[in-house]
Amino acid sequence: MTQPLLSIDDLHKSYGSEEVLEGVGLEMDQGDVTVLIGPSGSGKSTLLRCVNRLTEINSGRIALDGEDVTGTDTDVNELRKQVGMVFQDFNLFAHLTALENVTLGPKKVLGMDAADAEAAGRNHLEQVGLLEQADSYPAELSGGQKQRVGIARALAMDPELLLFDEPTSALDPELVGEVVEVMRDLAAEGITMLVVSHEMDFARSAASDIVFLDDGEIVEHGPPEQLFQNPTADRTEQFLSRLHAHEETA
Amino acid sequence: MSTAESTTSPNPGLRDRVGTVFTVRPLTVGLALFWIWVLARWTTDFVLAGVSGVDRGTPFVPAAPFLTTADTVASLATPLGVAGAPLMWVADTLRFAADATAYLPALAHGIWTTVLLTVFSVCLGFMLALPLSVVRVYGGRWARWFALSYTELIRGTPLLAQLFVLYFATSLTQVLRGVPGVGVGFVPAQAFWVAVISFTLNSAAYQSEYLRASLESVDGGQLTAARAIGLSKLEGIRYVVVPQGLRLALPSWTNELVYLIKYSSLASFITVQELYGRTSTIANETYQYTELFVLVAILYLALVVSASALMDRVESHTATAGVGHTRQ
Ligand SMILES: Nc1ncnc2c1ncn2[C@@H]1O[C@H](COP(=O)(O)OP(=O)(O)OP(=O)(O)O)[C@@H](O)[C@H]1O
Ligand SMILES: [Mg+2]
Repeated sequence: MTQPLLSIDDLHKSYGSEEVLEGVGLEMDQGDVTVLIGPSGSGKSTLLRCVNRLTEINSGRIALDGEDVTGTDTDVNELRKQVGMVFQDFNLFAHLTALENVTLGPKKVLGMDAADAEAAGRNHLEQVGLLEQADSYPAELSGGQKQRVGIARALAMDPELLLFDEPTSALDPELVGEVVEVMRDLAAEGITMLVVSHEMDFARSAASDIVFLDDGEIVEHGPPEQLFQNPTADRTEQFLSRLHAHEETA
Repeated sequence: MSTAESTTSPNPGLRDRVGTVFTVRPLTVGLALFWIWVLARWTTDFVLAGVSGVDRGTPFVPAAPFLTTADTVASLATPLGVAGAPLMWVADTLRFAADATAYLPALAHGIWTTVLLTVFSVCLGFMLALPLSVVRVYGGRWARWFALSYTELIRGTPLLAQLFVLYFATSLTQVLRGVPGVGVGFVPAQAFWVAVISFTLNSAAYQSEYLRASLESVDGGQLTAARAIGLSKLEGIRYVVVPQGLRLALPSWTNELVYLIKYSSLASFITVQELYGRTSTIANETYQYTELFVLVAILYLALVVSASALMDRVESHTATAGVGHTRQ
């Protein structure tokens, strides 16, 4: 019996008196691409941030490779080496070039020497199609390019799991495609990804699972065909029809 | 005629226009001459004087030509009566120039002390200010409270009072006098070091305020992203937030440097013979107050303008697209 790569069990998270996650459970196997959808404020970002402990949980259990990572004795920096994150606003290090953005982690966290880190960094930039921009600063890149550097930066740590928090929603529509394409390539390579995104194109073509989160609970969880074609819950159906209506107007 | 201008740039900054047309060249030449003189003076008086037969503090320029010219001008002016007043003024200025040739070596020595005082204080102050500002922004409650109290205490009291307290009310002077090497050869005496300590403590408070503001203006997502790749909070601050904050702080840091050059003159109150101290010593002996203080004002101006020019260089050298106020 293989154990799941990520397993979340009865996760609760509150901000003050407001309970944002009300007992969430989720499992992901190696190579899974799980797309998390749900209305604004439903707790998607919070769930993601709990996984790499940018946010501390109130109760429940999160295990990576079978190991509980929520304990106070867990080394969070060790955990974050294994869990990469890609942000909606890119958050590229503004004073570093694309290549330096990618090599900072390997050099300072993994202790790679500069030459190795750069060689590896160039490979990762090539993987996202940005080798030519290696020496550009973030301010000199388009949004789509920035996000691809963001992905390369996360990949450079060689993580077991990649988290994406709405990676395309800050982008102009014409730039979404290049980022989705890179993500699809990663999915095809077997990288385990937990993705918050309403990019239906990506969800349909690359996801192994869709999870619908509403009001801090998982309402429905299933493979894309089933969840998109035959949602069992009314809430899922309503959300999806609103999403489709929005897509058509866009 | 105006077409050439209007095609280049519709609205060139005042700074550029003034810079290229009026100031840059004479300013550069002036500063270059100033520093050539200063360096030549230091070399002759501090290095060569001991080694060869060169006398310490011998003027580079003789006073005689100024005096003879002054006498000639004065003799032309005398028959003109009241109408000769402007000429008399020229003659007086030339006479002061003759005297100045004798004062300038001492003033160059004062510049050395002023430069040392400023550079030591601003650098040591920075080393204190950086941790203080990081504590102010990221520290725990008590550490923040301590850093805030320190800054407010220093910024809320006059620098001269701080200097006097350290010099007269503590045993710092005695302690420093006992340190081997102090006051020997090139190493300035204890009063200088009391001034360095006082200015360092003072400058640290002001610098930490500037740095705090800059650190706070770095987007919070930067540290989050640093933490997300596995850097500790301190590493994230060190490798990501501080490098950006420093670039943002450069303009205000330049201000602090300029202030300190001028405020370092307060050290003369505790007997340090820096530029201002030497000037007032000479003035008290010769009664040429007006002339000497005009002269020393010009020397301070040269120091201040050099410092800003240097910091401008540093700023354009470290400028990064998208970080801080990049000049177009
Ligand atoms: N740091 C915080 N402090 C207090 N409340 C927070 C904090 N972060 C999130 N919340 C609240 O938690 C709830 C869930 O937020 P979260 O950002 O996880 O939602 P989301 O599903 O990602 O929404 P969106 O689609 O708008 O990004 C919201 O009501 C939000 O106001
Ligand atoms: Mg969100």
